[in-house]
Amino acid sequence: MSTGKRITLQQAAEIVKDGSSLTFSGFTIWRRPMALVYELIRQQRKGLHLIEVNGGPHTEFLVGAGCVDIWESCWVGHELYGKYGANLSRRVGNKEILVEDYSHAEMMFRFAAAASGAPYAVTQTSLGTDIHNPAYDTLGNAGRRDGKRIAKQKYVFTEDPFFGAGSQVLVPAAKVDIAIMCVQQVGEEGTVRVSGQYYSDPEAARAADITIVMAEEIVPEEYLRRNADQNTIVSFEVDHIMECPFGAHPTGMFGRYDVDGAFLKDFYGKTRTQEGFDEFAKEWIFGLDQMSYLDKLGWPRMLNLKANTALNYSTSVKRGQ
Amino acid sequence: MTTNYANPEEYGLADLLCCAASREVQDNEIVFAGTGLPMVAIMLAQKTHAPSLKLIFEAGTLDGRPPEIPTSVGDARCEMGASRASGLYDAFSIAQRGYVDLGFLGGAEVDEYGNVNTTVIGDYLNPELRLTGSGGNPDINSFAKRTVFIMVHEKRRFTPSVSYITSPGWRVKKWPGGEFVHRRELYGAAFRGGPSAVISTAGVFRFDDETGRIYLDTCHPGKSPAEIREMCHFDLDISRVSGETLPPTREELRLIHEVLDPEQIFIPKVKKG
Repeated sequence: MSTGKRITLQQAAEIVKDGSSLTFSGFTIWRRPMALVYELIRQQRKGLHLIEVNGGPHTEFLVGAGCVDIWESCWVGHELYGKYGANLSRRVGNKEILVEDYSHAEMMFRFAAAASGAPYAVTQTSLGTDIHNPAYDTLGNAGRRDGKRIAKQKYVFTEDPFFGAGSQVLVPAAKVDIAIMCVQQVGEEGTVRVSGQYYSDPEAARAADITIVMAEEIVPEEYLRRNADQNTIVSFEVDHIMECPFGAHPTGMFGRYDVDGAFLKDFYGKTRTQEGFDEFAKEWIFGLDQMSYLDKLGWPRMLNLKANTALNYSTSVKRGQ
Repeated sequence: MTTNYANPEEYGLADLLCCAASREVQDNEIVFAGTGLPMVAIMLAQKTHAPSLKLIFEAGTLDGRPPEIPTSVGDARCEMGASRASGLYDAFSIAQRGYVDLGFLGGAEVDEYGNVNTTVIGDYLNPELRLTGSGGNPDINSFAKRTVFIMVHEKRRFTPSVSYITSPGWRVKKWPGGEFVHRRELYGAAFRGGPSAVISTAGVFRFDDETGRIYLDTCHPGKSPAEIREMCHFDLDISRVSGETLPPTREELRLIHEVLDPEQIFIPKVKKG
């Protein structure tokens, strides 16, 4: 059964408007929807508001390309392959971007709240830190807290009214327009099967108003429904799907391919300056589409990253010194 | 069993830190691992004195026993052998529920009460350098019974006042005023503990049970207490030094370099001269 959910990368990027709020699948350098991120950069999307449990290379690409006005999260970097987000760091220094810091658990619980239709979450994390410094309410300071998409307050302290457990922090639901997911398999009707750790994908997909799924492969829906207990995201939570092999590169995907550490190291090394970023984008994004990008990477590189199907990771990729 | 300690020329600083970190782990504990050297340290403990420790990777692997070292906690190598592979909601819920005994974390700056900064250098509103941000550092530190920080030791990093408190130490800020209070006062029923050690490239530091103030416990081989005191911008208490940090054993070195990290992802091999 076809449901007309299939679209192209170009069409998917067009769903994202200037000023849209976005979130993503994955975790730091794993399972990020890079092919669609590249397409957003090609289409020169502006004023994006990223709300994410944690950031990674996709954040750095979008921020470096000047697509992002607000970044609300807790972490950005390239793990072993680049110790911090140099593009975000540069643009924060130049005051070209607003950054709202929460803790990792706060961000996760904010998505869980949004995903369950609750206006906020309650937690006991990060008490006593500068995350709760009222002077550091960036969106409040910028007059952006409209009480619609952006909560009226960054957080609220309260006392446990039920068991007398003391201080609690209320953090607002992470309301996002669009979740862009990059997964191993999606069915024609939208059912998603993630293999390996699913990170914060179920909450991200459910929290967003529109969920776009790019998958390594579109598989028959009946195939996924034979083992429904192994599925991760429900068909009707997904609005659009597309098949996009190696779409997470240079990030990795459980069971399919490893992180391309050399590519990330190169990106991190070369994009400390805006000129460096522009050069890198010219080489790897503009003037290419996904197929010519993969062609440029070449078979030897991709085969080296390819996961062993018994182990779910590559046994040939060079990881260390 | 006689302990077969390695001679100084047989190991590097990373080996020493890894083994010191590993020895912070007790058997049967539930340990939350961040990316990097802590993963090697915990897996080393798992293969030596703490075979029944339970390992949690922040990205969603619970009671993990990876056959190969992951390069980050989101790595495909985390899952194999685990009790459950799921997501961050599970990992953080389990931590907030109080299951976690020990967390290993890193930091760019630390103050004398164990407050750690990983967010920004300089004024937050006009930063000299924006770092990675908090990640799970404050969460693990808020939820675990003990946390151990592993840090590069430079004088500027051991400061009376960190640029930004990312992760809560023993005396933390009470908002909205920002006055410092003991952590116990702020966390109430959620109080479980706090930073128990800082393992730097110079020595191992611990915190006074009552005051929460840092003191030097052991010096790494070749460093004196006075030297380490000079390497801190705050007035380091060196009155309680218990001796020298124990060097790695030959068996620990073998495990690190032949079993856990043969690719030298986190721990370089010492070149034999």
